[in-house]
Amino acid sequence: MMYNDDNELTRDRIAELSTLPREMQPSDLLEERVVRALRNDGHFGSAPRIRQSRGFGIALRIAAAIALFAGGVATGRYLLATDAPQSASATAPATIVRDRDTTVPNPETRTVNRNEETIVAEREMWL
Amino acid sequence: MIGSIPANDVSLPALAIPETALKDKPVMALATDSALIAAAVGGAEAAFRELFRRHTPHLLQFVARVLGPASSDAEDVVQDTWLRAYPALVTFRNESSFSTWLCSVGLRAALDSMRRGRRHIAETLFDDDSATELPPAEDRMDIESAIARLAPGYRMVLVLHDVEGFTHEEIGLQLGIAPGTSKAQLFKARRVMRALLSGREKHDVQ
Repeated sequence: MMYNDDNELTRDRIAELSTLPREMQPSDLLEERVVRALRNDGHFGSAPRIRQSRGFGIALRIAAAIALFAGGVATGRYLLATDAPQSASATAPATIVRDRDTTVPNPETRTVNRNEETIVAEREMWL
Repeated sequence: MIGSIPANDVSLPALAIPETALKDKPVMALATDSALIAAAVGGAEAAFRELFRRHTPHLLQFVARVLGPASSDAEDVVQDTWLRAYPALVTFRNESSFSTWLCSVGLRAALDSMRRGRRHIAETLFDDDSATELPPAEDRMDIESAIARLAPGYRMVLVLHDVEGFTHEEIGLQLGIAPGTSKAQLFKARRVMRALLSGREKHDVQ
């Protein structure tokens, strides 16, 4: 057999190799280093939370962007909607007065209407 | 056969560790490797710490021997080993002992460390007859120093076979070489070891 060479290790030496110390105590910090590194890599409870919060943060940003856009659209529509009545404001009071004349028997309005009627009558007399 | 590696509990069933026991050190110390692995995979830090305390002393010694002159990097390589091993725990199938599996991860981490450090060119690991400087005849070495003085390819095969008890087939799988190459490397490694231990000059053994 090849291993019977004169230069081979003796059986005692080979046996000695198999009885070498099999353990070496690590430094006290190694365990903490490894656990911290694993946490940073996203393991052991805290890290998955970090991952979730990252995903949640991205989703939150997207939702905020959509909400901001929708808010802008709603505001724009509101402003457009409020612009239209402003342009028609000249006729609006008359309409309102006319409506009130027919539907609401408001004493103050009546007073105003009487004054207007008086003025109209005076003008007709001048003419 | 892995005769010299302490197979902690591979034959025992993987009993689940109750959640309340995960912080109880005496209970954790009694748990089997399989149960600890299952708990650690589920994110139980205490179970992982117990696995770490149980297996790191052997892993560290193994890695230090494989690294040889670069054994000062052994703790960094052990850290790298655990960082590789933890995500891969789900793939561990109890076909070998956890210690053996962990050593195989450690061996790859050590090889990568040696490549990164360019201490040895990986491609020449198993063709290297020249890296061992034999001491003068009057300086007999102890066996650990002699192992550290071996060329990397010799050292790995000798440590795996004669110290850790791996078979040539297993060594072949671990190192990506043929079993015959492993046998040849071991023969040469033992020859150099004998020269180192007896303090003979290099030309006497080559």
